[in-house]
Amino acid sequence: MIAYKYDFVPAGEQALHIAFPEQIDVSENQLIQELAQQLQSRFIYEITDIVPAYRTLTISFDIRKTTYYEFSSKLKVFLTHYVPDTKNDHGRIFEVPVCYDPEFGIDLEDVAAFGNISVEELIKLHSANNYFIYMMGFLPGFAFMGNVPDRIAMPRLSAPRASIAPGSVAIAGKQAGMYPVDSPGGWRILGRTPITLYTPNNPLPPFQAGDWIKFSQIDRTDYSAIKELDAHGEYQLKIISE
Amino acid sequence: MPHIEIINSGLAATIQDLGRTGHQAKGIPVSGAIDQYSHRLANILVNNSEKSATLEFSILGPTIEFNVETFIAITGGDSAPILNDSNISLNTTYPVKKGDILAFHPMKSGRFGYIAFAGNGLQVEPILGSRSTNTRLNLGGYHGRALAKGDCLTIDNCYQMPSLANRSLPWSKPTGNSIRFIKGPQWNLFSESAKQVFKDGPFTISTQADRMGFRLDGPTLEIPQKNMLSEGAVLGNIQITRAGQPIVLLADRQTAGGYPVIATIIGADLGKFVQFASNSPLLFEEVSLKKATAALRSQYRFLGELADSIYQKRYQYPIGPIRKTSKKIEEMIFNS
Repeated sequence: MIAYKYDFVPAGEQALHIAFPEQIDVSENQLIQELAQQLQSRFIYEITDIVPAYRTLTISFDIRKTTYYEFSSKLKVFLTHYVPDTKNDHGRIFEVPVCYDPEFGIDLEDVAAFGNISVEELIKLHSANNYFIYMMGFLPGFAFMGNVPDRIAMPRLSAPRASIAPGSVAIAGKQAGMYPVDSPGGWRILGRTPITLYTPNNPLPPFQAGDWIKFSQIDRTDYSAIKELDAHGEYQLKIISE
Repeated sequence: MPHIEIINSGLAATIQDLGRTGHQAKGIPVSGAIDQYSHRLANILVNNSEKSATLEFSILGPTIEFNVETFIAITGGDSAPILNDSNISLNTTYPVKKGDILAFHPMKSGRFGYIAFAGNGLQVEPILGSRSTNTRLNLGGYHGRALAKGDCLTIDNCYQMPSLANRSLPWSKPTGNSIRFIKGPQWNLFSESAKQVFKDGPFTISTQADRMGFRLDGPTLEIPQKNMLSEGAVLGNIQITRAGQPIVLLADRQTAGGYPVIATIIGADLGKFVQFASNSPLLFEEVSLKKATAALRSQYRFLGELADSIYQKRYQYPIGPIRKTSKKIEEMIFNS
């Protein structure tokens, strides 16, 4: 039994969304992540790709092997009889080092003013939380995470910046994220991680949707040291718990 | 090592295949040929698997010198190819040998062209199971970038081409100005008037058109008040931006998007859409999901039957160059 209502929505003749209630909710999203893995192995013949997002699971299938009508009715049968995995480990927690130096955290002052707290308190609040990864994308290595404590949940800039440095650690309202590559963006930048989040020769990120991220504060010296290690492939992200 | 050398880069020449599928959950875009029909057709004509990597280019094809003996076929837009100073036909397989030069005139119609090379296509190291290039992410293909003068790309020698005389298909410019769509996931979020404006059009492809997506010019659509959470983006999805302007998501699209999707261009019409001229007005025509499915399946069937018919004619006269060993012996004698 699945505890949430869901609908099938065609997204093309070779793709459909399974749409769950429209909310940002950890346990709903954990079910979506779990289903993404289960469906991919159960329907390996039909499925070409799968994208778990906040409240949707987008499934692409091969029209030469099935049709929307046939496949969605198969899915319906599968989901009706689906028993959620109670032993689900609910993700790993990755510790990501962040340097909150003002040179990196260009929006620290503004966000602290928004929360009416000091920059030190802001850093403490931001790094105290475990952030759940709801989805990966729109870029490789970009993790959409939540939830940022209400006090510091400052909305995004009204006009996005043209360029944001790779590794920038940022928030947008209750969402948290890290920029894997230089890209435009309107999120509020609090710091920078020395970890390379995207390399073309090894493009898969170490973490995935369903995992958790904890930010740990480091200083400039640590930042340079970790960056050096990471550049030689000798830095391993710490996994706090399995 | 057998290879081709790029003498002149042309425009946006990249290595493409059917895309890097299966990794979107980690944010990796699919990429691959923007006109998959033309990519598949080119591969069939040179006896390749549909997954073989082809060379995709836009508007102006590259100039290539062959340092290999193989067969090529060119498909897609009317790229006016020239082999050693003679015009050659599109959708037709030609033998090429060492020293041959392939060049192009600017396209007379269409936007994207494909060159397939027999012997399983362009040989670069696949990344995550695909050779396709995403230049924005420096990912895949030849060092993650568009091809440039002086690049040498490995391809295998290929001496056999069964049924060579039958490897040709008449080329014709796509006709009509309608592009078929099915209702998108957010169709019902749009007002009746917005839906009508979308169906009435007409739209043209703007100058902001690349492998990621084509922005369309035309009437502005009223946008839904409701904000939505980002969800998986699908090939051919038509998003409506906050300014009420449609963007069609294509090969290099991001894996997820947060703009409402009013419609999806049907798979069977995507090839026609990406080859559309910028100044000709296009109209969107609604079809049912059933029709969309049938249309794409019939396109696949057409390609499958073409491959079968070529194969079945392999012992008919004239028999193509299939005497592999004699060719090799000849090469050994003349190269020693």
